[in-house]
Amino acid sequence: MSKLLKMGISCGMNALQKAGIEQPQAIITGTGRGSMVDTEQFLVSMIANGEEALTPTSFIQSTYNSINGWLALQTKCTGYNQTYVNRGASFELALFDAQMLLNETNENMHVLVGCFDEITPDYVKVKDKIGYWKQPAPANTDLYQHSNTPGTIAGEGAAFFTITNKKENGICSLEAVKMLQGADTAEVITNINNLLAENNLNISDIDVLLCGMNGDSRQMEAYDQLSDLASDHTTIANFKHLCGEYDTSSGFATWLATELFKAQEIPGILVARKGRHKGIKTILLVNHYILNSHSIMLLKSL
Amino acid sequence: MAERIVITATGIISALGLGTKKHADALINKKAGMRHPLHLQTKHAQEFVCGEVDYSNDELASLLELPTGDNGYTRTTLLALVAMQELMQNTDTKLFADNSFALINANTVGGMCSVEDMYPDFLSDKTEGAFLKYIDTLDCAESTLNIARHFQLKPFIATISTACSSSANALILGARMIQNGVIQRAICGGCDALSRFTLNGFNSLKNVDKEQCRPFDGNRFGLNLGEGAAYLLLEKESDAVARGAEILAIFCGYANTNDAYHPTAPSPDGTGAMRTMGQALQKAGLYAADIDYINAHGTATINNDPAEGKAIQMLFSSKQPAFSSTKAYTGHTLAAAGAIEAFFSILAILEQKVWPNLNFNTPMEEMNIQPVTEVKDIPINHVISNSFGFGGSNVSLIFSKA
Repeated sequence: MSKLLKMGISCGMNALQKAGIEQPQAIITGTGRGSMVDTEQFLVSMIANGEEALTPTSFIQSTYNSINGWLALQTKCTGYNQTYVNRGASFELALFDAQMLLNETNENMHVLVGCFDEITPDYVKVKDKIGYWKQPAPANTDLYQHSNTPGTIAGEGAAFFTITNKKENGICSLEAVKMLQGADTAEVITNINNLLAENNLNISDIDVLLCGMNGDSRQMEAYDQLSDLASDHTTIANFKHLCGEYDTSSGFATWLATELFKAQEIPGILVARKGRHKGIKTILLVNHYILNSHSIMLLKSL
Repeated sequence: MAERIVITATGIISALGLGTKKHADALINKKAGMRHPLHLQTKHAQEFVCGEVDYSNDELASLLELPTGDNGYTRTTLLALVAMQELMQNTDTKLFADNSFALINANTVGGMCSVEDMYPDFLSDKTEGAFLKYIDTLDCAESTLNIARHFQLKPFIATISTACSSSANALILGARMIQNGVIQRAICGGCDALSRFTLNGFNSLKNVDKEQCRPFDGNRFGLNLGEGAAYLLLEKESDAVARGAEILAIFCGYANTNDAYHPTAPSPDGTGAMRTMGQALQKAGLYAADIDYINAHGTATINNDPAEGKAIQMLFSSKQPAFSSTKAYTGHTLAAAGAIEAFFSILAILEQKVWPNLNFNTPMEEMNIQPVTEVKDIPINHVISNSFGFGGSNVSLIFSKA
């Protein structure tokens, strides 16, 4: 079993274990790239072997929904099973689907929602040709000192959550999730304001603004404007210097948000600007992926 | 009760040709689209028949008035755009002027058809060349984003990849989003182009037939691969009526379940497929006896057909509906299959005809029901379309006469 499958399956099972759930009623995931290792392995050996003498394992594991299949197998979950492969919106789409699924039922339901993506040396090399990365790569903790140049640093990870329509034992609620494709800064800001208004909130009600800025100078405008809009109540925090850039980094950020809610304090390494808020009740996550997709998520403590 | 969702426009391309008429003619005349591939550059071209679309990439580009040659569009995207173009030509595009609609696309291997030819260049130290236009085309969302860009749409965008059930899932998501009031309309479907990657992948599993595939036949060996794209426009019945749109069919039920049995093989006793069809019936508020035709997944693989056949036999024990697989016409078009076969199911309702299961000669030992082998005129009110995929991903859709 390849690295991504191990990462995804163990992370998913771990989330269930922590929630004390043996069998979810649905499994929904998002991934931007699926198992790159398996895809590359089958592709490279197909080319090298001239389409002869190939073994199917990496082909099977390169299928984007293979982790979903394994998780269903492990938990004997015969319910709804879905995989989104939509670049920077993949995890958000999984959350959106789970939200809809919970709205569709009156019964108590547990949905396992997660995401996974990996980097490989070949992937880094290929994407370097279209300017994804800073060259040379800075130390991750210095990422934001390089926000005047284009490019970012590569990342990978898996994150899983159990999501339910029952408040008991919950960490936080997902109030809203919104995906934007090809939006300019003005559109991003308008959408953030609209999303807050729809939830009867003002930007100054946000305790923590969790920003997906990735050190790419071309992407700073929206975050700069957002920082200007935020009042001194709000702490502005960053996360991508810790996880790197990948399609489903929002999964890492969502996990981070749950940890902030639990701890009720913010580790200094995240803080870009400390706010005056007491406690952490509302987190607004604003993320983007590479050049053209944004997402906004509103989370509240229970 | 939630309002009914209807289908009001379609667009399709497959080995049977481009557009509704080509497909209806081929189905009625039992004319399969299988042949040795001409466009797919594989050393196995003379070994396997495939359901390859006749148009070359340049011809597809010309249909779209795009530049020919290395234009940065993969065959996957070109197929998607050509199918979408048919849908758009038959639809008042003012419907898509605002953003109250979704584009839900499905795909399994993205632009692998191009990437596999250029991968050595990708990994080389070259920093210039036509390959750069294709360097960001491997993932599944590439075709989705290109559809939105090409037709200047700004929809809610989603791309699904659940192997061979992908575009059936796209239809479900569209219907759910409309019923949840998130959007007013949805364009749902899927696309996949033939690639050496998938041909060699399935061949490494030893389930590709060199000759034309034989769904539900006792002597079947495996599947034929195909390519294509299909998109369907979904909206509420009241919205369709209000704008005077022709209602092609009612999309009245669906189910997505998982076999939870094996990474690639279906549960052999058919319980997985039976659960899916059963839940779809429940969602539609129909009884098994109401179903007139099943467009089966019927890949002609050793594992799928007996499992699916047993499921049909068990679930419809009181009254067996006509059933057939149309995979021998088009090949298995992977992510496009769910939408292509949803279209065939709707066409069966519109024409009041059951499509024949080609290449069936010998009944399977495992079951005592047989597929329909000739075009059959019967009253068709309700049709089930099955799509089952790797990862135990099972989907059934139910379409009803408007």
